[in-house]
Amino acid sequence: MNDFLWSSGHLGWGAFAIAVFTGLWWLLGDLYWRLHSVRIGRLLVGLATGWTVGAGLILLGFLVGGR
Amino acid sequence: MTILVLQIVILCLVAAAIVLWALYFPYPSPLIRRWLSPRKRWPEMQIRTWLKRGKFQRAFLRHFYSDPERIAPPGNSMLAPADGLVTSAQVHDGVRYLVIALSFWDMHVQRSPVAGRVLDVASHGDGFMDGEGREFAFLREKSCPVQKRLVIATDAAGQIAVRLITSLAARRIETWVRAGEQIERGQRIGRILLGSTVVLELPPSMSLLVRPGDRVWAGETAVAEGVVRP
Repeated sequence: MNDFLWSSGHLGWGAFAIAVFTGLWWLLGDLYWRLHSVRIGRLLVGLATGWTVGAGLILLGFLVGGR
Repeated sequence: MTILVLQIVILCLVAAAIVLWALYFPYPSPLIRRWLSPRKRWPEMQIRTWLKRGKFQRAFLRHFYSDPERIAPPGNSMLAPADGLVTSAQVHDGVRYLVIALSFWDMHVQRSPVAGRVLDVASHGDGFMDGEGREFAFLREKSCPVQKRLVIATDAAGQIAVRLITSLAARRIETWVRAGEQIERGQRIGRILLGSTVVLELPPSMSLLVRPGDRVWAGETAVAEGVVRP
């Protein structure tokens, strides 16, 4: 799991991917909210679900790739 | 080391995008504006804030002052003098008033609905406030709008008039034609600066092709047709 945060002199690819994905996901959520008339509650649930799936996939990819 | 620098650069870019988002919230960040329609790109609340300050975003002003080419449909139908929403088509004292309300996001150049000769270009309201200005206040639900009224003589429809109305806050109306000038159908006749209304005064015998709630485009949408019955 150490490789997740830091690896051979640079940020671990897992932590880096999650940080970038979180930022972009937030901005994408803002764009979607402005383009479509959607209730804020529904949007937040969608954002949280999407983030969980995305972060889970990154974590899974990291674990599978590390074997 | 190279990978670390690259990672830091990418993280900084993402962080900068989020800071920009936070600085502009609740209005859209400059990064996403290009994907939004004008109405969402510059929300009304933001425009009203600019109105109070007297300062506007350059991109909004560029959009506001845009003057796209328009192609008049064939035929002799009367064209909409302005972009906007038809809000009323009432008849008062033998004249039909077709009211077109322009929003902040509409193109603000007005075009002649017909070919003809300009008989008069007169100012009403504000400093020129007179009985007529108040009488027609119902058109805009404002107590004393600033107005310019262009009277045009046509062969088929007799005399018609185009009233350019703006608010006391904006006060500015430009007219680009003079009395005595011959104008073409769809020709640019003037521009109202900021929120405004344009009223087309027609003989009531002309048949309307639009109804309240319809959206019209200056110089392109046919709004009325027919000749005046004696």
